[in-house]
Order: sequence, then C-alpha cells, then structure tokens
Amino acid sequence: MTPEEPLPLAGLTVLDVSSFIAAPAAAAALGDYGADVIKIEPPVDGDPHRNSFRNASYPQSDRNFPWQLDGRHKRSLALDLKTEGARTILERLLKRADVMIVNFPPPARERLKLRWEDIEPINPRLIYCSLTGYGESGPDRDRPGFDITAYFGRSGILDAARYDGGPPGVSLPAQGDRATAMTLVAAILMGLRRRDQTGKGGWVGTSLYANGVWANGTTAAGALVGAELPVRPPPDRPRNALTNLYRTKDDRWLQLLMVRDDRLWETFCNLIGRPDLMADPRFTGRPERRAHAQELHDLLAPVFAGRSYADWEKLLSGTGIPFGVIGRLADVIGDEQAEHAGIFADTDNPAIPRTVNTPIRLGFAKPRKAGPPPEVGQHNDEVLRETGFSESEIEALKKAGALG
Amino acid sequence: MTETGLPLAGLRVLDISSFIAAPAAAVVLGDWGADVIKVEGPEGDPNRRIMHDSSNYPKSEVNYPWQMDSRNKRSIVLDLKQADARAALDRLIAVSDILICNFPPPVRDKLRLAYEDVKKVNPKLIYASLTGYGESGPDRDRPGFDATAYFARSGLLDAQRYEGGPPGVPGPAQGDRATAMSLVSAILMALMHRMKTGEGSWVGTSLLGNGLWSCGVIAQAALVGAFLPHRPPPDRPRSALGNIYRTADDRWLQLTIVRADKLWAPLCRAMGLEALIEDPRFATEPERRARAGELAGILSDTFATRPYEHWREALAAHSVTFGVISRPQDVPDDEQAVACGAVVETAIPDMPRTLADPIRLGFATPRVAHPAPALGEHGEEVLREAGVSAEEVASLKASGALR
Repeated sequence: MTPEEPLPLAGLTVLDVSSFIAAPAAAAALGDYGADVIKIEPPVDGDPHRNSFRNASYPQSDRNFPWQLDGRHKRSLALDLKTEGARTILERLLKRADVMIVNFPPPARERLKLRWEDIEPINPRLIYCSLTGYGESGPDRDRPGFDITAYFGRSGILDAARYDGGPPGVSLPAQGDRATAMTLVAAILMGLRRRDQTGKGGWVGTSLYANGVWANGTTAAGALVGAELPVRPPPDRPRNALTNLYRTKDDRWLQLLMVRDDRLWETFCNLIGRPDLMADPRFTGRPERRAHAQELHDLLAPVFAGRSYADWEKLLSGTGIPFGVIGRLADVIGDEQAEHAGIFADTDNPAIPRTVNTPIRLGFAKPRKAGPPPEVGQHNDEVLRETGFSESEIEALKKAGALG
Repeated sequence: MTETGLPLAGLRVLDISSFIAAPAAAVVLGDWGADVIKVEGPEGDPNRRIMHDSSNYPKSEVNYPWQMDSRNKRSIVLDLKQADARAALDRLIAVSDILICNFPPPVRDKLRLAYEDVKKVNPKLIYASLTGYGESGPDRDRPGFDATAYFARSGLLDAQRYEGGPPGVPGPAQGDRATAMSLVSAILMALMHRMKTGEGSWVGTSLLGNGLWSCGVIAQAALVGAFLPHRPPPDRPRSALGNIYRTADDRWLQLTIVRADKLWAPLCRAMGLEALIEDPRFATEPERRARAGELAGILSDTFATRPYEHWREALAAHSVTFGVISRPQDVPDDEQAVACGAVVETAIPDMPRTLADPIRLGFATPRVAHPAPALGEHGEEVLREAGVSAEEVASLKASGALR
C-alpha cells in the first residue's frame, strides 16, 4: 500500500465508514492521490454499493463496474459496529487515523456513538468528514437523502431541466454524488490545512442538497431576488435561434452557442452560404434576430439538416463560432481529446482495464493506478496487525463476531 | 481584506479568469478567507453582462449572477496587451500565492501567461488552470463552455434524454459550479505540496473531465461495453410505480416504490383507487410490470385530478415513498435550505440572500458576501499594496495600461 511516488496525500490514513457513492467516491479520490484508505463495512454483505450494478437504472453488465470504480485503492475491514469488540478496534484505528468519512443519518450516528462529539476525545487531531442528504440540522436532517431526491429533485435542478410543457429532466445514476465528492475532498483538504497550521482536527462536511443548490446556483440566485424563471422552449421554438440545438443530416444534435452574435453574425452568414441574410431587415441586429427567432430557426433548421455532423465540424472549426456536438458515450470513450485531457486511465484491474480519473490534475504528481477493490473483510488481519493487535486478540475478536 | 481564523486567511489569489467555473473557484477561496484580486481587461469580465446577454438567464433588476460570482473580490483593470501593464501584473504575481487562469492556451502564450512564464517571476506560485478540453490534444485551443464541454461533449446531454426526444437541458452554469469544486481541491493539494516542499506548481482541471467524472457510473459502464438505454417517457414507463406524474397544478411527483409487494395496497388507498387493490390485472409485481403502460395511464389520470399539496399529504399519510421535484422558486422558502446552510444572508443591500458554497467547516464560518466590485474599483489600492509607487501608478494610468 505504500505509494510509489511522493503523492500529496501519501502518509495519510483515511477511514471510509460510508456507503453508496458520494462519500466513498471522495475516499477513492483521496486514495488516487496517495492516502491509505481503509473501508469499514458490515460483515458478509459489506457496502450495499457492491450490489448497485444489479439496479435496473444502471447499464446492465455482468461486470461489477460501479463497485470497481468506487472501491479502488481501498482495503476492507469488516466490522459489526454494534458489537463492543468492534468499538475497541474502531477506537484503536481512530487514534492512528487522519481522516474519517461518515454518511450515516444522524440517528444512526448517535446510536453507534459516531458523532464528532463522540470521536473528538479519542483523536482531537482527526478530520471528521460528514456527508448528509439534507444537512446537519433542520426538519429533514434525519431523512436519508439520495442523489436523485436530495441533489436533483429537491434543489430544483430537475424542474429547471425541462422543456416547456414537457416532463422534468433526467438525471444519471450517481451524477450528483460524484460532483459532491469533489466538495468533500475540498472540505477535507481545508481541514488538513487548518490542522497543519494549528495542530487541531475538526468537523468538516457537506450535503447533497447544498451541492445541488450550488450547482443550480445561477437559477437559485435568480429565485432569491424574485427573478422570473423561464422554462426552456423546445429546440423548434427557441428564444434565440443562435444558441440552440439543431438536428443534422445524420441524426446527431449540434449545439450552436453563438453568444457573441454581435461579432459573429456576418461570419456565420457567409459560412452557411447565406450572405443574403445580412441584408435581411428581420436579422440586421441582435434585437431583430431575437424578435424573429422563430423565423430564423425555421430558416436554419433545414440548413443544419442538410449536412452531416462531421461536415459541420469541418465547416465551423476555427471560425470562432462556438458550437459542440451532443456527444454519445460510445464515442467519448474513444475520444482522442479525452485521452489528452487525462480523463480515462489504464488500471491494474482485469475486470475494468480502463477507468475514469478524478478531474483533479497536478503538475507534480500523477494519480495512482487503480487496482481491484477489496473483497468484504479482505484486509481484516493485515489492518488489525498494523494497528497493534496481537494474533490472539484478533482470534478472540473473530470469535466474538466483532470482525466479519 | 483577510480575516484570521479562516483556513485560507493570508493567501492572495489573482483571479485572471472570466465567466463562471474559474471565477467561482476564486469565490470559494474568498469565502474561506483568501484575498481575491480580480484582474480584468478594459471591457471587464463578460460575466458582468451575462444576465442580459444570455436568453437562458432569469432577468432581474439585480445583477445576481455577477454578484454571486464576484463576492468579496477586488477588481483591477489592466490592459495586458500593453507592455507596462504586463510588467505591473508581474509585480502582483510576485506577491501572490495563487493565480487562476482560464484563457485558451494561445492567448496565454500571447500574453506570456503560461505557467512557464509566471513560474520565473514567482516559483512558489500555484498556477491553477481551467480549460474546456484539457491542456493538449486536438481541441486544447478550443474555447469550452459548460453547455458544450461539460454537458454535450461528455455524453451527459445525450444520456439525459427521454427516448426519441431532444437532448437534456443543462441549467445555466450547472457544470461550471460543480467544476469549481474540483479546481478548489486541486489548489488545496498544491498548497499542501508547497507546505511540504516549499515549491509552487501547476494544477488544473477541465470542464470535459468534470462532466465525465460526474457521469462516471455510465462512463465506466461504457468502458466495459455496457450502455444505458434512454429513459422511456413518463407515459410509457418500465414500471408505473417508479415513474413521474403530473398533478392538477402542473407539478410533478416522483413515485419511488421499491417494495411494491408491501406498498401496492397503501398506494391504491392513498389515491382513492381501492378497487385496484384486488384487480387481477395488477395483482402481482410481474403483472404490474407487464401492464406498466396501462397502470401508468390510470395513475396519471388520477394524479391529474388533484393538486400537488393534496398528493403530498395523501402519500405521506399512507407511508408511500415519493420524491419531491421542487421548483427553483421553492428553494428560497425551504426551511431546510437555510438549515443546511445553502441559503445565507449577505451584506449586499439589493441582494440580501445568496447561495453559500457547499463546503461546511466546524471550525470556521465562511465570509459574509459583500458587493461585487465595480470595474477597476481597486486598481490603485492593489498595486500600491504590491509596492508599486504612486508615480508608477500615475504613469500606468496615463498610458492607459491601468484603467
């Protein structure tokens, strides 16, 4: 488990006492950058995320890809936290740990004596990182929160992500969880910075709800000042025909994003072979083009439908006109640019030869190569020995059922 | 401008960036105590005008996006194309800890703002780079935006659509703000590295990388050859009990019944459809699945007869699990949004409340938001702090390098 390079988090021990995705993904990111991550799971079944791949809303595969993704770099210790023996083990581990990540709902933390107040006396230098669905206080503090309910539903993102008259938008599995993980990483790093400065540990945390509201911050900030929130018209009735989606000849979608049409209109008219539009009084200035958005759309839709996406790509590239394709994942995984951007990485894990990197890039270090995630309790003996337990103590704990 | 007790107090940040993702990262650093100096060109950050320029922004008398993305910053206007302005910037770089830059690479080269250029001026500097598509490769020079790089190119919008429908709708700056948290994490790792080694460094992230990280589950699936089928629209669901329904007042309810065997009867009672409980068409879960469209039709007609509030109470009374699809306008009055610290008060008279960044620390409270700066409001003050003399400031102003 010793990292090969001087990674920025090398030497830190993280206890990942969390389940499912947002909090464990933060622990995986810490592991990417050198931390020694010990996952504490219930015996036998472990983290229920080990079975997420059977969920009907996940892409169907015989490989357990979500667990491989979120379990990387971790060692597993199977503890039944309800037993006294497990508590002894946990406290010994806590004394040596730097970071602990918890996402039990508050009542479970109280029951298991896993609140920061309970832990601080054991190790006042610990960074205690809390993830909740809805925050640490308020009427919904005890409510279990998930990505789709807390981050997307409650925050207003799904309502805002719809076309006029249509159903709410669609969120992808764990989409908000993974974005939230980066906030947890930032919170933990702030805790570590403060510890470097003062010697003191502390509580840090975030909630799925707060992250959803933050991501939706522009719309939410508008709501806070009472601004009228427009529902997006469907692509065939745009408010602005120059920032809109168009279907191409080969049934792809091209996103035109000409925000600075004050500068780019003439370039665009020439490119599409319609220099006559420049003289058309309906489209001479920005206000006219907005006022006649529907007519402009009706003119442009057949123009875009006349060529394939590849032809548009050739025509528009390098002109300064912002545009993009609506990418398909089938293409993205082979996207040369994604390789250059370090988005995917090779692994040492035969089950998933390639994986998704965290979005963090450092000039002075590369993230660790991902190996296979652990079996439930795979590292029980190893972790306990490192923590100073003797063979006979380990045997006794196993017999008592504390150790799974 | 710094307060002690905050984890980033004492750090000086040069925010040489525009629009949203990179400036939002600077906001977060400012929230936690850093002194953030926004370096703008003579026309200012176009984000000052985005509320008017973009048709997808709610319109208001208050320039709320600019206020939100520039809180607690100071502004200096330098025309970096002029040699003496560029030299003045070096004076600021020499006394700064962090530089945030999101110019496309060719502009960085032209302005001598690549990491190799500024490292010579201050080897302890942390250079945080945001790009649309990464630092190399065929699209490195391409300007990337939230909608194009984070959402479209990553495959998110294609995956977020209903079968046969157009691509999903990204909220304004939604991916930018998520990306800001990665940039903050990258900067904090570099600060940790500097504390250990004394050396500055380059760190960065891309909008494309963040989009793919957020859809990591389906991206990882694609990497092993598994793909997510597009979601069927609500009138043709795979399961009528895991589906969304429109209420009489045009709200939407999300039924999320996993234990259908237990909750079928309570659901029927909550909806006043007792006759369905024993209906042989829907007696078992396999039958309900097989007739999902038919069942969804019945439920849909019933949900459409009463308003959202009625259904919320009725479902809760029968312990039927459902998800709320809030409207953005519900968030300001949501007690829980305040309790979880998402909605906070400001010291900005015409915008009394704003959104906190999602980081919570037990040992520090983020700075209260003060008004975003006027263009160039703090130019002289900032340069004088960096040791530039009054005469030099006057001559920079006379030449138009400083506005």
